[in-house]
Amino acid sequence: MVLWIILAALTAAVAAILILPFARATKAASADRAGEVAVYRDQLAELDRDRAQGLINAEEAEYARAEIGRRLLAAAGAGEAGETAAPKTRKHGLATAAVTLMPPVVGLCLYLALGNPGLPDQPLEARLANPGNNVALLVAKAERHLAENPNDGAGWDLLAPIYFRSMRLGDAELAYRNAIRILGPNPVRLAGLGETLVASNDGIVTEDARAAFEQAMKLDPDNPRSRFYVGLGFEQAGRAAEARAQFETIAKASPPDAPWMQLVNQHIARNGGTVVSGKGTAQALGNPSQADMAAAENMSQGDRQAMVRGMVDSLAERLKQDPNNLEGWVRLVRSYAVLGDKPKAEEALKSGLKQFPSSGELVALANEMGLAVEGVAQ
Amino acid sequence: MIIEIGHYALVLALATALILSVLPVIGARRGDAAMMALAPTGSLVLFALVTLSFGALTWAYVVSDFSVANVWENSHSLMPLIYKYSGVWGNHEGSMLLWLLILVFFSALVAVFGGNLPDTLRANVLAVQAWISTAFLLFILLTSNPFLRLDPAPAEGQDLNPVLQDFGLAVHPPLLYLGYVGFSVCFSFAVAALIEGRIDAAWARWVRPWTLAAWTFLTAGIAMGSYWAYYELGWGGWWFWDPVENASFMPWLAGTALLHSALVMEKREALKIWTVLLAIMTFSLSLLGTFLVRSGVLTSVHSFATDPTRGIFILCILAIFIGGAFVLFAWRAPMLKAGGIFAPISREGALVLNNLILTVATATVLTGTLYPLILETLTGEKISVGAPFFNMTFGLLMLPLLVAVPFGPVLAWKRGDLLGALQRLWVFAGLSMFAGLAFFYIQNGGPVLAIFGLALGFWGMIGALADLWYRGNFAKVGFSVGVKRLIGLPRSVFGTAIAHFGLGVTVLGIFAATTFGTETVVEMKQGASVDVGGYSLTYDGLRDAVGPNYTESRGHFAVSRGGVEVADVWSSKRLYTARRMPTTEAGILTFGLSQLYVSLGDAMEGGGMVVRIWWKPFILCIWGGALVMMAGGFVSLSDRRLRVGAPSRKAKPVKARLEAAE
Repeated sequence: MVLWIILAALTAAVAAILILPFARATKAASADRAGEVAVYRDQLAELDRDRAQGLINAEEAEYARAEIGRRLLAAAGAGEAGETAAPKTRKHGLATAAVTLMPPVVGLCLYLALGNPGLPDQPLEARLANPGNNVALLVAKAERHLAENPNDGAGWDLLAPIYFRSMRLGDAELAYRNAIRILGPNPVRLAGLGETLVASNDGIVTEDARAAFEQAMKLDPDNPRSRFYVGLGFEQAGRAAEARAQFETIAKASPPDAPWMQLVNQHIARNGGTVVSGKGTAQALGNPSQADMAAAENMSQGDRQAMVRGMVDSLAERLKQDPNNLEGWVRLVRSYAVLGDKPKAEEALKSGLKQFPSSGELVALANEMGLAVEGVAQ
Repeated sequence: MIIEIGHYALVLALATALILSVLPVIGARRGDAAMMALAPTGSLVLFALVTLSFGALTWAYVVSDFSVANVWENSHSLMPLIYKYSGVWGNHEGSMLLWLLILVFFSALVAVFGGNLPDTLRANVLAVQAWISTAFLLFILLTSNPFLRLDPAPAEGQDLNPVLQDFGLAVHPPLLYLGYVGFSVCFSFAVAALIEGRIDAAWARWVRPWTLAAWTFLTAGIAMGSYWAYYELGWGGWWFWDPVENASFMPWLAGTALLHSALVMEKREALKIWTVLLAIMTFSLSLLGTFLVRSGVLTSVHSFATDPTRGIFILCILAIFIGGAFVLFAWRAPMLKAGGIFAPISREGALVLNNLILTVATATVLTGTLYPLILETLTGEKISVGAPFFNMTFGLLMLPLLVAVPFGPVLAWKRGDLLGALQRLWVFAGLSMFAGLAFFYIQNGGPVLAIFGLALGFWGMIGALADLWYRGNFAKVGFSVGVKRLIGLPRSVFGTAIAHFGLGVTVLGIFAATTFGTETVVEMKQGASVDVGGYSLTYDGLRDAVGPNYTESRGHFAVSRGGVEVADVWSSKRLYTARRMPTTEAGILTFGLSQLYVSLGDAMEGGGMVVRIWWKPFILCIWGGALVMMAGGFVSLSDRRLRVGAPSRKAKPVKARLEAAE
């Protein structure tokens, strides 16, 4: 309501000011050339100054004086002729109507179509002071707090999984790293960091991620999650035997009805092992809710491959459109290499090097992955 | 509520602009004083409304109100306060609002300071300004509305583009827009004169301060943009002939031509039609520049957003204003009384030469900018027209102009004496050549042709001083009388000399920096040293640091000369966390007018870093010269003659105009 009163007042003020010129006594319009005359008089004065200072000689000054004089006479003559014209009084019915109606009509119509009169201002400070149940605001509040107290490890620890779940992977990585730096490593933080890294590399277990998982495993050898990713890392690197060893360790240590068993068994099978006495699958079959979970979590081998492939292809497509992304190229080359698609990997490497000819990172990666690129190899 | 008031004020501004577009023109046609008086009143109302609107948006940025979509897209609550202010125009919608604000600001200035104009001319000029305002208001409200809201509001913004998080953003766009938009006043004067069908020497006098102000701001804006690109992008270059740069350079070239042709018109009533055409062309190029950058035709840091409806709207605005103005010109120009004639060797002749070269240069830049775009649209073939083309064409065109600059001011109006001018100037030409040689010798090395380039720079500077020398007649009357004579001269004479001097400084900087500059790319490990430009840089390793909204690793370099440490410099690579966007922050050390420019490349295996180091001798002359040109513009603007023409009113104090123009 207050808003509408203010808007109405604003409109009325504008219309009132615009109507003012019509309300004043209408004086006659003169073909006012006084300004012009003044300009020419000033030019004459300037000419005199120049002459006095010897900037121009007498002959030139005379020519110029004559020229300006002609203009002066013309302007003055026209001015007088104009001023003799009889003043006319005019009626401005139509004009005043337009001036009065235009602001409210145009203003209202357009504003109602475009504006949000019902929406109040929402300065961030006020919202943070009273966040209610808004998770995003609570996160923002925690971020504020951490920006001022960057060494509050508990805060980072709290935020990191929230970031991870909302797919703010960069922030999640930073938060995990800060929590580890301040509070020291523990299996949950390390595994969380590892998972974040894997997620931000499109499912590839990178060096960094593997290091985090291995450290977590050292602290808590019984943690199946860390061990699973370490195994996955071996699998992606094509080291089937070591991968299988990890998966089998998990299978041995886990209760047979653990929800991750089906996934683990799949990986054991994929790495050339045999699943021990089928107890996991039997249990899984016997338990429908677990089967559902497994179906959701574990796609078939082909589907999974297709999904990873899809992610990599979409990355390739993104890079084609915006090639100025070194990190992206590194990831793409690595992904193709891990998937075993050597020609594609080399092609990506070549494109990446074309974009970043001096990138040591790409060349190093090529060496590591055993990729050959003509002309660029060091 | 404040935001909605701002939104409504913008809508109300459209209503006001519509009224202003029509009634004053009718009033001028019918000789109706009341309707004409509406123009200045309405222009002030318009300015007040747009200011209110702009203020509301700024407030939304400052308090981080993310219920405004524009704020959410381009701000972050943790950004330093200055970027919250400058972030208002660091995006498409906000920058269009700034454009509009400056446009109505100039209209308001014309309304306030236009007391010396004939009533009809003032009414028409302000009406034409209102046409442009209407177009921009429609464009902003319908396609680029900064006041659209989000409900529910997000908790945190998406941050401003890191490249724009810089002091440069606070200065460059407002200055550039003051220049671009300032030329709208010249355009409006030209169109108003065409509508009235009358134009004379006094018109040129009235347009002059506006041209001068716009030119001055544009000079500063371009120089600022160039310096910003130089230190922010980390490429070590200061001008890339990038289409976006060209877009701002073309109005400058045309505006420079306009500045000079208006002089001829004022003094001799010649070149009237040409001046009107130039005024139209200059603003058309400003519009083209604004929109070329905004339409998404060009991709660069400046094209904040692309959207097909905007593109079509933009095309329509361009077609209506540029096309309309040229049609009006073709129709009305033949009816204007032609001006006087003059001899080729005269001040007028020199100014015509200036105009000729500058317009051809503008056409060259325009061709080089648009040709790749047109070719791509027609055939799909992508080519890039870069520095070699512009250096060969534009560079060659500029050489005769630079040689001719000092001759202009020493030639007399109407009938000049070239031989006399040569006699007066040959000593100074000799001095310039000597200075060029000496400079070349001290810097030792480089191509011999560079001597002429350096001499050209000195010629511009010394030639400007020579003009003052002869005006003071120091040779005959001695020093003290000479100084007295100089003091008596109108300020515009000093403005000319200062601006021409600045041009010389810039030319000198360009030649010195390109001839004697060096570029070194090395891989450095901690403790490694490299010699550049007589200085020795020692790399001291990387350190991590955290800024308000970014993290960075900073490389530290110790700089020594002759074994003595003289300075140290940090060069860093930043990562802006909200957008996960990396930037490089070059480390720049200034020694006198020269600079050492250090930029970090990629990290190598084994702890080394690729480091690019440029030695840029006398590079500051390039922008310093532009600042001197700007100073010349302001000195000239303070000339009392520009305020002449209001006989019945009290003369306004000098300061008032300057303040208003700033």
